[in-house]
Amino acid sequence: MAAKGDMVYAWAKDAEIQKKGECGGAVTALLKHALESKMVDAVIAIKKGKDLYDAVPVVITNPEELIQTAGSLHCGTLLIPKLIKKYLNGAKDKKYAVTCKGCDAMAFYELAKRNHINLDNIIMIGVNCGGSVSPVAARKMIKEKFEVDPDKVTKEEIDKGQFIIEFEGGHKGIKIDDLEEEGYGRRSNCRRCKMKVPRQADIAAGNWGVIGDKAGKATFLEICSEKGANLVNDAQSKGVLETSPADPKGIEIRGKVERAMLKLGDEWRHRDFDGLGKGKDRLKMMMEESSKCVKCYSCIEACPICYCVECSTKKPWFVAPGVLPTSFMFHLIRFAHVSDSCINCGQCEELCPMEIPNALFMHSQQVEIEKMFGHVPGRDMTPPIHALVEEKAERARLDATGTDSIFTNIFADE
Amino acid sequence: MSENTELMKYVATTCPYCGVGCTLNLVVNNGRLVGVEPNQRSPINEGKLCPKGVTCWEHVHSPDRLTAPLIKKNGKFEEATWDEALDLVAKNFKTIYDKNGPKGLGFQTSCRTVNEDCYIFQKFARVAFKTNNVDNCARICHGPSVAGLSLSFGSGAATNGFEDALNADLILVWGSNAVEAHPLAGRRIAQAKKKGIPIIAVDPRYTMTARLADTYVRFNPSTHIALANSMMYWIIKEGLEDKKFIQERVNGFDELKKTVENYADAESIHGVPLDVVKDMAFRYAKAKNAVIIYCLGITELTTGTDNVRSMGNLALLTGNVGREGVGVNPLRGQNNVQGACDMGAYPNVYSGYQKCEVAENRAKMEKAWGITDLPDWYGATLVEQIKQCGEEIKGMYILGLNPVVTYPDSNLVKKQLERLDFLVIQDIFFTESCEYADVILPGACFAEKDGTFTSGERRINRVRKAVNPPGQAHEDIWIITELAKKMGLKGFDLPTAKDVWDDMRAVTPSMFGATYEKLERPESVCWPCPTEDHPGTPILHREKFATADGKGNLFGIEYRPPAEVADAEYPFTLMTGRLIFHYHSRTQTGRAVDLHREVPESYAQINVEDANRLGIKNGEYIKLKSRRGETTTLARVTDEVGPGVVYMTMHFADGVNNLTNTALDPMSKMPELKHCAIAIEKAGGN
Repeated sequence: MAAKGDMVYAWAKDAEIQKKGECGGAVTALLKHALESKMVDAVIAIKKGKDLYDAVPVVITNPEELIQTAGSLHCGTLLIPKLIKKYLNGAKDKKYAVTCKGCDAMAFYELAKRNHINLDNIIMIGVNCGGSVSPVAARKMIKEKFEVDPDKVTKEEIDKGQFIIEFEGGHKGIKIDDLEEEGYGRRSNCRRCKMKVPRQADIAAGNWGVIGDKAGKATFLEICSEKGANLVNDAQSKGVLETSPADPKGIEIRGKVERAMLKLGDEWRHRDFDGLGKGKDRLKMMMEESSKCVKCYSCIEACPICYCVECSTKKPWFVAPGVLPTSFMFHLIRFAHVSDSCINCGQCEELCPMEIPNALFMHSQQVEIEKMFGHVPGRDMTPPIHALVEEKAERARLDATGTDSIFTNIFADE
Repeated sequence: MSENTELMKYVATTCPYCGVGCTLNLVVNNGRLVGVEPNQRSPINEGKLCPKGVTCWEHVHSPDRLTAPLIKKNGKFEEATWDEALDLVAKNFKTIYDKNGPKGLGFQTSCRTVNEDCYIFQKFARVAFKTNNVDNCARICHGPSVAGLSLSFGSGAATNGFEDALNADLILVWGSNAVEAHPLAGRRIAQAKKKGIPIIAVDPRYTMTARLADTYVRFNPSTHIALANSMMYWIIKEGLEDKKFIQERVNGFDELKKTVENYADAESIHGVPLDVVKDMAFRYAKAKNAVIIYCLGITELTTGTDNVRSMGNLALLTGNVGREGVGVNPLRGQNNVQGACDMGAYPNVYSGYQKCEVAENRAKMEKAWGITDLPDWYGATLVEQIKQCGEEIKGMYILGLNPVVTYPDSNLVKKQLERLDFLVIQDIFFTESCEYADVILPGACFAEKDGTFTSGERRINRVRKAVNPPGQAHEDIWIITELAKKMGLKGFDLPTAKDVWDDMRAVTPSMFGATYEKLERPESVCWPCPTEDHPGTPILHREKFATADGKGNLFGIEYRPPAEVADAEYPFTLMTGRLIFHYHSRTQTGRAVDLHREVPESYAQINVEDANRLGIKNGEYIKLKSRRGETTTLARVTDEVGPGVVYMTMHFADGVNNLTNTALDPMSKMPELKHCAIAIEKAGGN
């Protein structure tokens, strides 16, 4: 019987899942079992769209359709939890099993803290993530650096510090460090990321540390919660998943890989944050860059921290409506509301039509705040530094005071 | 469509607003739209969207959508069945045609709707009524680009794609506020800036795009030709023209050289200091690869075609056509303004710009469509049709246009539409123009139909159906083909968008190879694409131009002032334009909560000095008057416009088009939407 804290090698019993899935298909087998055993109402995972650069989220209720989500796509840059909040009622009325990268797992916790996702209804199958590459950037990199037609590529993966492609007639790997020196490679937030093994999920799965005859044929599972242990045990007892104890040497190697990735994350943080300059120079740079903002609201819509029904940026006394260039107040409001809890998921930057490095700006502030207050977002249910209130109730309370005086509203009762 | 209990179903489609053609995902829950999510796989916008793109789903399920055909009886609209409505349309059009002949009817289609609708619409007009009175609203945005670039290069389309600007060594943005009007093309300029590519922005207004530039050049409104001629004078004077390119690939150098000799110093016309003109000219000429990006600042004038040809002149003179990083690129306004023209919804060409005046072309179409007697004459254009209402034209069919708000001189438009015997409007909402209709047919919006939009870079992007039209509303192809069948016409048994597309491909050599199968790829295809194994043509004019002799044409063009200039009675110059938060007459964007919140009513930008002199404060109402009408609007006092110049957007009813002028560009019939003379007073009156 597996228990929280256990580390095992696992693989699917079903031959098709084993073949189509990554590393023996343990993740697909677990998802399918969760659905078949009615542990969940649906599975939320990523399937291949037009080609292997096109990652499309999908809600699956028919276990037979799960096979289309087998295999990994490194060009998927999606953030699933915000989609669950927006389109699936925050999992308040249904149970879901979800595959998640580090940023997804962190976003789940931040949304749960703010009462926008019911984590009790979510089984998180975490997957190790060394970073993702935006689809168009990946195609450009494959064409220009690998000198391969991106349409001919049949598989891509990130392994042992290399970006590796398989294509009709061969395979090729180039060191990620070299690619990134030349401006290719992973998204900038992924480079700075230090959530490589999502242990706040129910299970953290991956291929790091699978050695010996199991290499490539089994998935490394670290069981991180009782929910995760139940799923593995149940899947095993029903005969859909097979496991063996993880090789101690494999565990050691997995730790090494993770530490190397974390070190790389630190290096990129130094590099990126130093590039922002200091003090007034940093402020000036942020003001200049953000003056290009055209108020598409993508940064706010996609942000796992933003949830207000009445967004302060839409109050005309803070930010004049319909006026471009957008007042810096718009961005100051975002900084003030988000920066203590920013998980560096990168969505605000990836979706910005004016190429403002939003994630870099916000992340740079989050690490400073973390140094000051010791709050680490996205790891567990610890509330953020800012007080949390029920928005509607708090607005009603403030309205009832009949004044906008901060003293009356905040301190008078004390 | 799959069963409608599906949750979070993504349908990849093309944004219905501007001509950039961004891909986005419509999100469907239980058969209803619930949002838009990014499509990062798109090579066009990589998931990024503008304020309009992210809200483009909001109007789709509006409770005030048209859901049943309406027939006006005793001045009031009553719901009718499709049979009643289409029988009435068929009967009345036939009566008018029998009495007045092919010139008795006018057909106008929107550039917002899919290629397939545009093609079937013009086919219906031509087959049923043997008329060339068919036009689309490109006429009043990029008609001069089609005319001008055809004369200069032999093809009226943009030469290079949006992303290609990143291959340039210099970007000259002229009369384009891309950041607001074509935001994801504006993004390419922002990317270029990050890459260190120098950007020169030429505009009377200090726009969001001008702010990106490292050199901003303000010039007097509508003096493009004088400024371009002056630049070319200095380029030739310094011997910086591309002599080899001119010798091998270009006609008309001597004529151009002679004409520009009078423009050594034209500051008195265009207002740009000579040293700035020289600097701009030399930088453009010396850059290894320089691209011109322009927009409606160039086209919406009575000199529109000549302004466009002046851009062509600059590029040909310096050899900046036919390879990566160069070219002349009009940013096409609407999502399908390229496509509506490509489809032959145009009064002198069939699909793929096959001229109606050429007998072989007519014979070919007659054979394909199984008819005889297609006309050779040049049909009436959009604004000409309006002017002919009640005279030659007695009946009109308008698909997805709102002329009462968007055409120049709204008062004239209303008066003319009233003079029609019979007006049919096919739309998704009851627009301001619907009041003037006799029959209203409820169509389907972009999310409710399959088809294609062709973007400003000639890329044919797929539009995919996500949800059903509301009530009895129908896909527009169904409406038009049913009407054709009621009239007993053959060749309209085309139930799906793909059927219509294939019908079009069969008669259109430049698009024959663009099969739906190829359009499925996110990269899709840029036309020309003549054969099924052809990859498409992202860059035009590589080896030779599309002209008859394969050469580009330089033209000596003299500066002409606009039709109506400021004078003692109307002392201000009014310019018009767009803003990022709305699209055209706001039929759709006005129903998006956030867009309406950003800009709920019209405003006019007025220079600080002028405002001080007139005692006008920022945010107060002012009245603007022209010889044609007046409008009341909010004043925004700013130095973004120069003294003597007022800027107003075109999105609001009874707004700027109460003031604008219908004087036409003789070559393209473009009305002078961007320049007229006005007077300003405080709204309280005096």
